[in-house]
Amino acid sequence: MIQLDFVTILYVGGIGLLAIGAAGLVICNNFFRILLALVVAEAGVNLLLVLVGYRGNAAAPILGFGPQGAQMVDPIPQVLVLTAIVIGVGVQALAISVLVRTYRSYGTLDVRELKARFEVDLAAEMGIESTPGSEAPAA
Amino acid sequence: MNAVILPVVLPMLAAFLMQPLAHISAFTARLLGPLVLAISIAMLVQPWFLPDTGPFTVTFAGFVPPLGIVFYVDRLALIFAVAVPLFTLLSWGWSTDTHGDEEKKAREDALMLLLAASATGLSLSGDLFNVFVFYELMAVSSFGLVVQKGTGPARIATLRYLLISAFGSVLALLGIAILYAQTGTLNLAQLGQLAPAALHGPAGLTAFAFMLIGFGVKAELFPLNTWVPEVYATAPARIAGLLAGLISKLAALVVLRLLVVVYQDTSASQLLLLLGTLTLLVGDFSAWRSRDFPRMIGFSSIAQLGLVFIGFSIPGPWGVLAGLTVALHHLLLKTGMFMLATRWSGSLDRLVGCAKSTPVAAGLYLLFALSLVGIPPLPGFWAKLVTLAGLAEQGSAMHLVALGAVLLGSVIKAHYLFRFALKLYSRSDHPALRHGLMDLGTAALIGIALIAATIYVVPIGERLRAVAQQAADRDTYIATVFPDHANTAAPEGPR
Amino acid sequence: MTSLDILFMVSGATLLTALLFGRLRLAEPLMVMLYAAQLWALIRTNTLFGDPVASSWQITVLVDQSMSWRYNSVSWFFAMLAIGAGLVSALYAAGAWMEKYLESGNSGHAVHLALAASVFSMVLLLGAADFLTLFLGLELVGWSGFLFMAIAGGVAAKAALKYLAYAFSGAMAILGAMALIYANVGSLEYGRVIDALPSMTSGQGWALLLLMGSGFAVKMGLLPFHLWQAQAYAETPAPGSVFLGAVFARMGFYDFIAVFISMVGIAQLAQLEVPNTGISSRELLAWLAAFTIILPTYTALKQQDARYLLTWLGVGQGGYMLLGLMVGDAGGTAGGLLHVFSFAITQAALLMAVFAVMYRTGTSDLNMMGGLARRMPWSFAVVLLGFFSLAGLPPMAGFVSKWLIYRSLASEGMPLLLVASVIGTVGTILAGYRLIYSMFLGRLRIEQEGVREAPPSMLAPMLAVAGVLLMVGFLPSPILNWVAAIQAQLGLPVVDYYPGGFSDPRGDLNMIWIVSVLLAGLGLAALAVFGIRVRSKRVHAPGSLTGGHFPDAETRHGYVDSFYAGLMQLIGPWYCDPFAWLERALVSGVRFVSSSVNRLYRYVQPTVFLLATAVAVVAWAINAGGF
Repeated sequence: MIQLDFVTILYVGGIGLLAIGAAGLVICNNFFRILLALVVAEAGVNLLLVLVGYRGNAAAPILGFGPQGAQMVDPIPQVLVLTAIVIGVGVQALAISVLVRTYRSYGTLDVRELKARFEVDLAAEMGIESTPGSEAPAA
Repeated sequence: MNAVILPVVLPMLAAFLMQPLAHISAFTARLLGPLVLAISIAMLVQPWFLPDTGPFTVTFAGFVPPLGIVFYVDRLALIFAVAVPLFTLLSWGWSTDTHGDEEKKAREDALMLLLAASATGLSLSGDLFNVFVFYELMAVSSFGLVVQKGTGPARIATLRYLLISAFGSVLALLGIAILYAQTGTLNLAQLGQLAPAALHGPAGLTAFAFMLIGFGVKAELFPLNTWVPEVYATAPARIAGLLAGLISKLAALVVLRLLVVVYQDTSASQLLLLLGTLTLLVGDFSAWRSRDFPRMIGFSSIAQLGLVFIGFSIPGPWGVLAGLTVALHHLLLKTGMFMLATRWSGSLDRLVGCAKSTPVAAGLYLLFALSLVGIPPLPGFWAKLVTLAGLAEQGSAMHLVALGAVLLGSVIKAHYLFRFALKLYSRSDHPALRHGLMDLGTAALIGIALIAATIYVVPIGERLRAVAQQAADRDTYIATVFPDHANTAAPEGPR
Repeated sequence: MTSLDILFMVSGATLLTALLFGRLRLAEPLMVMLYAAQLWALIRTNTLFGDPVASSWQITVLVDQSMSWRYNSVSWFFAMLAIGAGLVSALYAAGAWMEKYLESGNSGHAVHLALAASVFSMVLLLGAADFLTLFLGLELVGWSGFLFMAIAGGVAAKAALKYLAYAFSGAMAILGAMALIYANVGSLEYGRVIDALPSMTSGQGWALLLLMGSGFAVKMGLLPFHLWQAQAYAETPAPGSVFLGAVFARMGFYDFIAVFISMVGIAQLAQLEVPNTGISSRELLAWLAAFTIILPTYTALKQQDARYLLTWLGVGQGGYMLLGLMVGDAGGTAGGLLHVFSFAITQAALLMAVFAVMYRTGTSDLNMMGGLARRMPWSFAVVLLGFFSLAGLPPMAGFVSKWLIYRSLASEGMPLLLVASVIGTVGTILAGYRLIYSMFLGRLRIEQEGVREAPPSMLAPMLAVAGVLLMVGFLPSPILNWVAAIQAQLGLPVVDYYPGGFSDPRGDLNMIWIVSVLLAGLGLAALAVFGIRVRSKRVHAPGSLTGGHFPDAETRHGYVDSFYAGLMQLIGPWYCDPFAWLERALVSGVRFVSSSVNRLYRYVQPTVFLLATAVAVVAWAINAGGF
C-alpha cells in the first residue's frame, strides 16, 4: 500500500498537472486552449520543483522565521521556481498578444484552419503555385 | 574579469535604455546598439592575443561555487562569446525599412541587444540555473524578433514556434528538477563530480533526454524543428540567419557541455548520434523538395546541425573538434547565405536567371554552396573530413550507418544546391532583383573570410585542435571550478 | 623550384589568364600558346623515362597528414594527353568557331575558363602522391567538367546536373573509403597504406574495393554508372565536347591505375574474391568492362544525332582500356594503355569533324544530312580515318591497340571476353558506317548545296590529329616506348617492341609491313579503277522517268528512313535498358522520401512530436540506464 501522505499526493498532483497539460497539447484544436494547457503544464513543473526541495517538518528558508537552528526547506528550487514563474508569465503575455493580433487578422484561432491559411498565404506571398489537395477539382 | 562580464551586462543595459533614448534623440538610439556591440567585441577579442594560460572562472558577488553561480571561461566559450556580438552586429538592421518609425526601430534594436546579451551569457555560464535563465531570455527576444514583419503568416509561425519552445522549456525544467533531485546541485562542475555515482542510471539519463529536448528545440534537432521552415520563411532574413547561424550553435554548445562534463561515457552520446543522423537526413531530403530559397537554406541548416550533433556524439577531443569545426563553418556560411536571402525571398522560379543582374550575389552563392557541400580546399571539406574520420574510427555499426548517412546527405545537398545554381545562371527575362548594399557587403565580407580560412586552414586547424583538447577535458573543468577540491562531498540531500 | 613546380605554375598562369582576359579575342591565340608552354614544361620534367619528380610544395594538415605532389611516368602519359587535348581544343576554338559562338550571344570567357580550369585540375590530379591530394584533384576535375557541361544551358544544364549527381556520389564513396582507410591505417599516404594492405582482412579489402572502385567506376564511365556521359559530352560546346570526350573519363582510369594497379596489384585483385561467389574481383572488373563495350555501343546504333552517336561509342571504348589492363600480361596491358592514347586522338578527330559539319550545316541530326563528301572532302577524310581507327582496322592507331588486346585475350585463355569484345567491335563498325553514310554519302540536300569545307582554323587541328592517327598506326614504336616505360613503372610485364611493331612468341605484328601491303593493294586497286577507262556519266534527274512522273531537282530520291531496320527489329527487344530504369527508380525513391519527410513539416499540431519524443526518450533512458 503506497503511503498516502501529503507529499505523495502533491507529487501525484504535479505529475497530473503535467499530464493534463500534455493531453491538452495533443487534443486541443484552439490555440488559446493549447496556451492554457501550457500554463497548466508549467504549473505542474513548478510544483514538482518545489516538492524536490521539500524537507519534512522544516521551516521556510527565511532567517528568523522559525526557531533558531531548525532545518530549512531547500531554497534553490524555490528560487528556480520563482524565476520560472516570471519567465512563464512573460511568455504567456507575449503569446496572448500575438494571439490577439492573429485573431484580428484571421478571425479564428483554430489550429487546422490557421495552418491551412498559413500555407496558402505564404505561397501567395512567395509566388509558389500551391499544389492542390487530393480532393480539389482538376484545373 | 570585467572583460568577460561587461559584454553580458552592457547590452542588457543598453537594451533597456534604448526606448527612452529613442524619445530623446533618435540618432543616438540608432548608434547605441552597434556601439555597445563593438565595445563587447573589443573586450572579448583581447584574451586571444594573450598567451593561453588555461581556463578560468569568474564568480559573482564573492560567492564561490557551488553556492554562487560561476562563469567558466575557456577557449571554446570565448570563441562563441566573441561570435555573438560579432554576428549580431553583422546581422544588424541598418536599413531604414521601418520608414522613419523610430519606436519600432528602437524596439527591434533593444530585442537584438537582449538577444546578444543572453547569448553571450549562455556561452559563458557554468551553472544550469544560469543557463536556463539565459536560454529563456534568448527565446523571448527571438520571439519578438521573429514576429517583426507583422504579416499574418509571421504571427502564426511565431505562435507555433513559441508553443514548441515553451513546451520544450517545460521539459527542460523537468529535466533540471530530476537532476537536482538526484544530486542536490545545479553547478555543472559539481554535477560532473557527482555524475558517475548519481546520474548514470535511468533517472539521470531521463534528465539528460528531457534537457536535450528542451535545448534541442533551439538547436533544430529532429523532431523538434517543425518550427524552422515556418519561421525562416516569414521572419526577416537577417533574423533567420541569426537564429540559424548563431543561436542554434549556442544551444548545441549547452548540450555539449552537459555531455562532456556530466554525461561522459554513457549512452547519452548514442542518443545524440541517433537524433543527429535523423536530423541530417530529414533536413537534406526536405530541402530537396523545397520551392523557395529561405526554406531551402533553412532545411539545409537543419541538416548541418544534425552533422554538428553527430560530431559532438563522437567521444573525446576528436568529437569536440569535429562538431566545433562544422559549427563554426556553418555559422559563417549561413549568415552569408541569409544575407543573400534578403532579396531572394520568393519562389525559386522567380529567381531564374538572376545571375545576370546580380553577378556578385550569384558568385557568392556559388562559393557558399561549394563550401557547404564540402569541396576541397574550402573549409567545409576539412570539417566534414574530420567528422567522417572520427566516425570511421569509432567503427561501431551505428557510427558506420551515420557515416553513410552523412555521405548520402551530401549527395542530396549537392544536387539541390546546384540545381538552384543552374537556375540562377540560366537565361531568362525576369526583372532584376538587386540586393541592398549592406546585405551584399556583409555577404561579400563573409565570402572573403571564407577564402581567408581556406588559405590559413592549417594554423586555424591547429588552434581549433587546442581548443577542442581543452574543452573535452572534464577533469580540467572540475579542477578549474574547484581549485582546492574543497567541495567533493555532496551537499545535504533533498530528503 | 622543381620542374614539376614550373609545370604547375604555367598551368595556373593559364587559368589566371583565362579568368582575367578570357573576354578578349586576343585570348584565343594567347591560350594556345600557354597550352603549348604547358606541354613544353611537361616534356621538360622528363619523368617519362627519368626519375619521378616531386613538387616542392607540401602542406601538413590534420595533425600529421602531408599533402604533396609528384609526377611519374604514368602521370606524364596522362598529362601529355590532357594538355595535348587542351591544346587541340584551344586551337579548334580559336578563330572561326569562336566568332560564330560569340555571335549567338554566348560567352567565350566561360569556354576559355572551363578549358583552362579542366586542364589545370587534371595536371594537379595526375601529380597526386597521397589520398588527400588525389581527392582534391578529383573534385577539382569533376567540378571543372561540370562547369564545362553546364555552360550551354537548357538540355546541357540538365545533363550536367545528372552528371553532378553521379560524380558526387562517386566522390562521396571515395571519401567514405578514405575515412575508413584513415581509421584503420592512421594515415592517408600511399606508402603507409601499401604497408598496411597485407594485414587487411578480406572483408575490409572488399569494402574498400567496393567503395573506391565504385567511385572510380563512376568517373571512368564504367557500367553501371555510365549513363551520365553521352548526353553531357554531346551537349557541351564544341571545344568542350572534343576535350571531355577525349580525356575526361581517362582521369578516372588514371585513379584506378594509381590505386588498384600500382598499390594493390593485379595479382591481389585476382585473389580478392567477391564474398559468397567464387568470382575474383579481376574477373568481375573484366566482365564489367566487356559489358561496357557491348551495351553502350549498341545504344549508339539507336541515336539520330551525330554527336550522341559518337559519345555513346566513346562510352564503349572506355571498356577496352580496362579490359586490356585486367588481362594482365604484357600485350594486354600494353594494348589497354595504348588504347587510351589512340582512342583520345580518334575521338578528338571524329568530334572535331562532326562539329565542323555542324558549324557549316547548322545541324547534327543524321536524318537531315547527306552527300557532304563532295562539299567537305577533308572532313570526310578525317571521319573516314577516325572510323577505321575506332573500328580497329589497319593502318590506324586503333588497330594496334585492339589487336594487342585481342591477342592477349586469346592467348590468356579468355575466349568469352574475346567474343564480347568482337561483338563490341561489330557494333562499332555498324554505328560508324551509319555515321559516315548519313553524313557524307548518299545524296546532297538542296539546302546544303552551298556548304563549303570547314574553315582552316578548324580544319588544321583536325588534319593534324588525323595525321598523328596515321603515323601511330604506321609506326607505333614511339608510343609503345611510352607504354613500356609505364608498364615498367607499374610493375607490369613489359611489351617487347621494335620500330614498326612488337614481337610475341606466337607471332609478331609488324605495322610497317602491314601498312605497306595495304598501300600497295590500294595502289593496285586505284590503278585498276582509274586505269580502265570506265567513265560514269552524270545524268540529270529530269532526264529519267519514274512511273510516268518527271522528277524535278527538288525531289529527294536518295534517303534512308530507318537505318539497319532489319537488325533493329532483331535486337530491338533486347533494349530493355535496365540501367536507365534503375536510375529512374532511384530518383523516384528520393522523391518519395522527400515528400514523406516534408509532410512531417506540414503537420498541423505544432507540438505533438515533442510529446512523442519525450515518451520515446523515457523508454530509451530506462532501457539504457538499466532498470
